[in-house]
Amino acid sequence: MLPPQLSALLLLALPSAVRAVFQDEVGHIDYHYELLGVPQQETTFFHRPRRDEKASLLYTLSDVGVLGAVNPKTGVVLWRQLLNGSITEGGGFARAGEGENWVASALGKSVHAWDAVNGRNKFWTDFDGEVKDLEIMEMTENERKDVLVLFDEDKTHSTVLRRLSGDDGRVVWEFKDVTKDIPLQVSNNVEKVFVISLWGTPAAYNLKVTVLDTLTGKRVDELVIGTKGDVHGKEDVMFVGANSAAPIVAWTDAAHKHLRVNVLGTKTRQEFMLPDDTVSIEIHAPHLVQSQPHFLVHSKTATGNRADVYHVDLKTNVITKAYDLPLLAGPGAFSTSSSGANVYFARVTEEELILVSSASHGVLKRWPLKIEAGKGSAVHGVSEVVKKDGPGAEDSFAIRSAIVTNSDEWLLVRNGEVSWTRPEGMTGAVAAAFAEIPESEELAKSLEQEAHSNPLEAYIHRVKRHIHDLQHLPAYLNSIPTRLLSSVLGTDVTSTEGELVRDSFGFHKLAIIATRRGMVYGLDVANSGKILWNTRAFDLNGGRWNVTAAHVNDTSGQIAFRGSNGDFVVLKTDTGEVSYWNPPGPEVLAQSAAIVDHDELGTLSLPVRLDGKIGDLQQPGVVPRNTIVTRNPQGGLNGIVFTADGDVARESIAWEFSLPKGQHIANIATRPSHDVVASIGRVLGDRTVKYKYLNPNTIVVAATDDDASTLRVYLLDTVSGQILSVAKHEGVDAEKPIECAMAENWFVCTFFGQYTFQDDSAQSIKGYQMVVSDLYESDEANDRGPLGDAPNSSSLGPIDNPLGVVLPSVVSKSFILGAPISALQVTQTRQGISSRQVLAYLPGTHGIVGIPRILLEPRRPAGRDPTPAEMEEGLIKYSPAIEFDPKSIVTHERDVIGVQKIITSPAIVESTSLVLAYGIDVFGTRVAPSFLFDILGKGFNKVTLIGTVLAITAGVVGLGPMVRSKQINMRWQAPM
Amino acid sequence: MQLSLLALFAGALLPLGLSTAAAAAATEVPQTSVTFRIPATQHLQNLHTLPASTHATLSTFHKTLSAPLSTSNTFVFRNVTAGSYLVDFHCATHMFAPLRLDVSPPVDDHGGKAPKLVLKAWETFRGNDWDNKGEAVPLRDDVFDARLLGAKSYFMERSKFNVLSILKNPMILLGLVSMAIFIGMPYLVDNMDPEMRAEWDERQKTNPMNGIMGAASGQGGANPVGNFDVAAFLAGSSKKSDNASATSSATLEAASTPSGGKGKGKKR
Repeated sequence: MLPPQLSALLLLALPSAVRAVFQDEVGHIDYHYELLGVPQQETTFFHRPRRDEKASLLYTLSDVGVLGAVNPKTGVVLWRQLLNGSITEGGGFARAGEGENWVASALGKSVHAWDAVNGRNKFWTDFDGEVKDLEIMEMTENERKDVLVLFDEDKTHSTVLRRLSGDDGRVVWEFKDVTKDIPLQVSNNVEKVFVISLWGTPAAYNLKVTVLDTLTGKRVDELVIGTKGDVHGKEDVMFVGANSAAPIVAWTDAAHKHLRVNVLGTKTRQEFMLPDDTVSIEIHAPHLVQSQPHFLVHSKTATGNRADVYHVDLKTNVITKAYDLPLLAGPGAFSTSSSGANVYFARVTEEELILVSSASHGVLKRWPLKIEAGKGSAVHGVSEVVKKDGPGAEDSFAIRSAIVTNSDEWLLVRNGEVSWTRPEGMTGAVAAAFAEIPESEELAKSLEQEAHSNPLEAYIHRVKRHIHDLQHLPAYLNSIPTRLLSSVLGTDVTSTEGELVRDSFGFHKLAIIATRRGMVYGLDVANSGKILWNTRAFDLNGGRWNVTAAHVNDTSGQIAFRGSNGDFVVLKTDTGEVSYWNPPGPEVLAQSAAIVDHDELGTLSLPVRLDGKIGDLQQPGVVPRNTIVTRNPQGGLNGIVFTADGDVARESIAWEFSLPKGQHIANIATRPSHDVVASIGRVLGDRTVKYKYLNPNTIVVAATDDDASTLRVYLLDTVSGQILSVAKHEGVDAEKPIECAMAENWFVCTFFGQYTFQDDSAQSIKGYQMVVSDLYESDEANDRGPLGDAPNSSSLGPIDNPLGVVLPSVVSKSFILGAPISALQVTQTRQGISSRQVLAYLPGTHGIVGIPRILLEPRRPAGRDPTPAEMEEGLIKYSPAIEFDPKSIVTHERDVIGVQKIITSPAIVESTSLVLAYGIDVFGTRVAPSFLFDILGKGFNKVTLIGTVLAITAGVVGLGPMVRSKQINMRWQAPM
Repeated sequence: MQLSLLALFAGALLPLGLSTAAAAAATEVPQTSVTFRIPATQHLQNLHTLPASTHATLSTFHKTLSAPLSTSNTFVFRNVTAGSYLVDFHCATHMFAPLRLDVSPPVDDHGGKAPKLVLKAWETFRGNDWDNKGEAVPLRDDVFDARLLGAKSYFMERSKFNVLSILKNPMILLGLVSMAIFIGMPYLVDNMDPEMRAEWDERQKTNPMNGIMGAASGQGGANPVGNFDVAAFLAGSSKKSDNASATSSATLEAASTPSGGKGKGKKR
């Protein structure tokens, strides 16, 4: 074993062959959407991070679980934290204390406090229960502001309220109530803390308000408020005014006829009529203690919305209606802003932004609203109102509203003008695909016409077409100078801007991303990932779109998304226009989708049912030729084949792969759809050849056994279902990510392993690992194994030799990785000549690493230096650890969070592979695993080249006459 | 191993009669809190430049804990149970050495107090035996210090076109010098005083080559060594023809630096 220092040195020296990103390529070859997720109304707010400065920032805890701060002036993210390390489905709490320099958040069982300016952690604690609510205690016995967190502890069936110190997160006091009540929310006013829970049976819950002492957390009082059977669950209760002078609790009856409000701490219930046809209501109220106790009830009908403003009398706790805002057609949103005692309500309609004071119904100011088409209409928002005292009674108001629209955009409206828009809807991406830019249909049609007509006609047609094409000549000639200039200066070729035209390198493609919220985005890959279009495929009302397959048809320029609930949508890749639409049903019907060949359409996606079957295909012409591998309900795999029976394709199960008891599938890796192999063998240093085992019908199945903590990696032949190889790894943690990827004649698997070596060294290993296996036809070089040079072979009937099925020779090596990795993907290039890279997401440092194949090479000599022959082959000495060199990080300095999947696509030039990563952020780049050998990169300085040529020309022109005159002079000079 | 130790704990506590506490201890695994700190070092003086995404993880079998970087440049892990952990620091701008953290129960536990877990940390080396521990990291004020390995540099430097770098090339320098001589010599000859010019012309007649080099080496005088005929000397003969000796001396002079040409040349 190497001394550790030496191995570390070796590691640093090794990846010198890695191609890093150049600083000037940033933003040129890559693009990155630094996203937060769609903000949730309750967890979004403006807050001043520094008490003595006026500037405020916009904070949000989004529906994917990212807490972040955005500069409201520019829309730039200042800091982000992915709260529990993975994408959530909404939920969570975030609050900030007025004048405090920190923001508190809670999600799941953790409570965090973050520095509001730089996003560093102030304190964090994990508790047993699940957080149900979080509030800031604005008034405490000392200067500090504390955090109240309400937990529901399932284990002990209790409701726990903890007061955490705002300085260090220490528990100041804890109130525990062992009941079966459902804890709902915590609220407080100056003297008391209220815990509101649902008490009773699901048929008719009553509200229980437990009043606690702020100093000790001891129970002072307990009130039960009857709801007359209006409340059937926690979603029926609306809470507001959490920190206002008079916190209230409000709920409605099922028919949305009456609104019932209780001022916390009293027993009385007050009832108000709601407008007819109310579909839903929302309540908006200020959160500050010093604000006036006013609140606004926003009632939405099917066609319009209106609002009523109520005032609470602090002495008598009587609620009176102050005024109402008229019914306006269309959707609308309300938001609250308070400065000191003043409370303002901002109303966003489709055309206007209206500001009113809570005290009177007079409109303080109205601004026309200009939200561009395609951004949708406002769903909810938050506002900040600044009042400038003008001369006399003329007060002027300025307003900033951060609005979430129904097309999942987040935009900031400043006095009616949109100052920025953030495409937060691109978070939560579930499927993505690269698509070629569709060629113009006319050209395709005329080409087809030429092919089908007789030669003479075709010729005439062609000449006509060319003459017709001459009309583009002036424009082309016009563009030459700019193209030449931009090419010399190294800037982008501007002539393709604005129009979608394929380029000669194949970099100009479209990336189509579908999100779980039902939105589809089309990105222009070459144009810094600009969003070309966005379309809402389905209105899911908070449901989740599970896309099983995204399937591009480049000839028709369409992309089809097949969902798990029987839904199917086809869109045009260049415009996002929906050409076929079938909405999702209530039930999950499909586990996945299979892409099969089709005679006319090229390929087709078929839904795979939950039982692992597809069913007979009634469509004529569809007889899938390949075996389709599906998961069966028993946890194994089925191999399904179709046989033609007239117009019907009959389904039958060719084989079944059942795992031994206790094992279950952790991951399946298949070959990339574009997996070209440039060479069938590997030439070794001594000029012998090891032939690659290139069976296109193979998949890798990783199965874990939780009891024995083992991982088995099976290589399956999908035609016969035969296991070609199996590797067993001991001490594998199944709770940590296990992922595999395969390409060409090799596959990799990564997992967390902790085990003792089986040799007698008694050494043990702990860490994230990667195992790479190469498949060859034979153990020997220059040997093609039992099949020899046979032109055909079959997995089903190869038994012409006594050894049975031809099994590949497997060479493996494992490596310890410097960091956990996920979302494995192998680069794809057009011809497969370039070496490959394994791209993987680093969840720790939020980057994407490209691990070169040369490092992941099972034939690296272990324990000795490579021989000259091996060196010639490019083999380097095996070292067990792979530390990721920062130069191999394709995301370089960018902070790319929440990547779920990486997809790659070949370009026209062989050297380059296009990469797109999605999940929360969207990141795209180009990688060249074997360097840019076929195009001139940005490093090629054309200015210098031209300068040198010019200088030499000038030299020749200048020196020529001199030399000539000298020669003449020499002739005329008498020899001395 | 771990399990059995924990069972021992519960067993040790039960006879003490603290039924409720023991019950709690039996169900609740003893936990402790671990703090790591990034110290200010020469290479990382301003710790505020570390990004907020910096965090540390403790990983072991069936357990992963993560702690974000705090405002006081620490990573605080609470609820850490006994075990041997791999500690990784994930930072976008800097690299830190991985550590091994062992959280183990105390050897002897007397008294009815809840047992306090013992913390020990070492540097660890990836790809090596887990028991191959490096230097122990001392626990100072209940805090372990992380060791900075260096800053990360993500970008490759593009080699730029630079005139100076071309001039640094010795071949180019040689060429430039000889070019200067070639161009400058006629002017030098023109500016010579008539007496010297005559002398120079005289020599030029006998040996054009020597003249050229002599002009370069100073005032047109040949180095005294220049008259030494190496070829002849090596051949063991005395002076041969004028031509041969001149050629070889010229070669020698070309090899020597042009600085030694102050002395007036001897007339042959």
